[in-house]
Amino acid sequence: MTLTGCITLAAALLCIGIYGLVTRKQAVAMLLSVELMANSANILFAAFAHFRGGASAQVFVLFALAITVAEVAVGLALVMLIYRRHGDTTLDLASEAKQ
Amino acid sequence: MTPVTLALVATFAPAVAALLLLIVFPLRHKGAPAAWICLLGSVVSLGAALKLLVDRLGGAGDTRVTAPWIMENGRAMAEMGVLIDGVSLPMLVIVGVVALCVQLFSVAYMHDEAPRAFGRYFTLHALFLFSMNVVVISPNLLQLFAGWELVGLTSYLLIGFYFAKPSAAKAAVKAFWMTKLADMGFLFGLLVLYVFTGGFEWTSQPTTLVATWVTALLFVAVIGKSAQFPLHIWLPDAMEGPTPVSALLHAATMVAAGVFLVVRADPLFALAPGTREVMLWIGSVTALFAACLALVQSDIKKVLAYSTASQLGYMVAALGAGNAFAGFFHLGTHAFFKALLFLAAGSVIHAVHSNSLEDMGGLRKKLPLTTVAFGIGALSLAGFPGFAGFFSKDLVLTSLEGKGNWIPWTMLMGSAFLTAFYMGRVLIKAFGGELSEKSAHAHEGGPAMTGPLVILAIPALASGFLGGWIGTQMHHAHELHFLALTPVVASSMSLIGLTAAWFVFRNGGKAPFAGTLERLDAFSLVDKTWAAGYQVGLLGISGIAGWIDRYLVDGLMNFGAWSTLEGGESARRLQTGRVRDYALMVVAGVVVLALIGVLR
Repeated sequence: MTLTGCITLAAALLCIGIYGLVTRKQAVAMLLSVELMANSANILFAAFAHFRGGASAQVFVLFALAITVAEVAVGLALVMLIYRRHGDTTLDLASEAKQ
Repeated sequence: MTPVTLALVATFAPAVAALLLLIVFPLRHKGAPAAWICLLGSVVSLGAALKLLVDRLGGAGDTRVTAPWIMENGRAMAEMGVLIDGVSLPMLVIVGVVALCVQLFSVAYMHDEAPRAFGRYFTLHALFLFSMNVVVISPNLLQLFAGWELVGLTSYLLIGFYFAKPSAAKAAVKAFWMTKLADMGFLFGLLVLYVFTGGFEWTSQPTTLVATWVTALLFVAVIGKSAQFPLHIWLPDAMEGPTPVSALLHAATMVAAGVFLVVRADPLFALAPGTREVMLWIGSVTALFAACLALVQSDIKKVLAYSTASQLGYMVAALGAGNAFAGFFHLGTHAFFKALLFLAAGSVIHAVHSNSLEDMGGLRKKLPLTTVAFGIGALSLAGFPGFAGFFSKDLVLTSLEGKGNWIPWTMLMGSAFLTAFYMGRVLIKAFGGELSEKSAHAHEGGPAMTGPLVILAIPALASGFLGGWIGTQMHHAHELHFLALTPVVASSMSLIGLTAAWFVFRNGGKAPFAGTLERLDAFSLVDKTWAAGYQVGLLGISGIAGWIDRYLVDGLMNFGAWSTLEGGESARRLQTGRVRDYALMVVAGVVVLALIGVLR
């Protein structure tokens, strides 16, 4: 596994995440896509730490994972609220929030 | 107290009174307290002015104190302050005396008004006195302009005091826009003066060309304010205001401000012989023209109004002949006798309840004191030898002697005759003959009405003898020769005029010539044609200006507002509220930023 390979993997994950975010309507699927994008960044962190030496970057990855989990918890709570209100998790229903 | 403090007290005492009445409105709405506060302000103002006069007689000199005003780049563009000298001090006293008399008279004259209107009337009076004093104590032209505009505004409010009456509202607006149109001249004159001399001083010494421009522009404002031909037409209409207001505005203050400006700016006018020539002619034409119009009026106030324009013509002619002292002296005596005449006319109107000379007659039997007061004013105005008007009018005429000015001199002599004639006519028609129907129940007003008449009658009789003192105060060396050609001709004009009026109008105007004269409306027709033409011209211009303003200037503004609104409506559609759209925009943004980063 080379550095280039890792970067390519991260880029691929990011693109998949973007694609999912833009095309999916379901809130859970969109959250998953966001998660993919976040993790592509984490992979970059870990890969550079591994090939360039130095363990401090790996600590950042752990922090980033923890924070992402917290964000997803908030996101899921919002999804729950939308579900309770509309009986559905299609995120377009939340467009009423713009008023 | 120092002279500056006294001058400031004289100026601001009425302002404090006005401010108090404006803010503490219960005082104003109750009526009577407003009159007392206004009178108190005027008394304090006059007291301070008299103290200054006493100091002056005790040997005090000129005082000039200024403070920087309108700072720009650390340098003062202009100054404001106080100037007390041989011109402003007599003026301050004259204005104070006349204003106080008029206000006192008003207490009796206006007592039938509703309390609120009564209070408003005195608030305006206090404000007016303050404005006029700002003009009087100005040390430079910019401050004078500020006071000038204040006078314009307050006189508009006073003329339109009965604003519920359409004719009064119209007259006020007419006076306002006429004088404002002329005031443009003042403003442009100030601009030219500032550009070429870097200041607003009348003592600056610009070149003849600049001085001519500045003085010509200033004179335009004087034509408007002092009701000179051809802008005199607002003055008779301004008689719609209460009679005491006419006494105040058309004697010592508003219209006199124009003459005062020229007296003040005399050093500048001295550098502009061209402007002076024009002034000489305009003044003479106004004097004669307005005297002709005064001859055929049947409204007692309109006679006095036209005679005011005529007398202002005398002053302007004297100033045009280069004799500022003569103009100023006539301004002073005219202030007293014209205020007296207007107040006496007010007393008559109050007693007869009509302005028309036709309704009056035989009033000497019912209003003896008013008759004497009006008689003194009329004789003074007619230039009867020994009365105040005689001295000042002689001085005006003498200053025109020689220098090839014989045409204006003749015109002014002619108007001296006409003045005596029309004043004789009013005297005989109103006070002589048999009692008319409406005069039968006339009676004198209370002491508040007769008091001011008595007070004003004294200077109207005797202020002519003060001429020498004012002359020395203005550093004007002049000797009065009473046996020279001009005074002799002038006094005979006055006597002939009065005698002619007696012969024509005695026996209730039964002489065949009298009827013809009464119907002689030709001059009025000229005046009306003028007014109509002026109105059409000005309304035409303002119509065009209004169209441009409404559709081009406002249109541009409205287009700006409309496009912003429409743009906002379109931009609003970008905000769909759908998370995916926002995500797409974020991504697109990132891509664009990345592209910029890569390409750079």
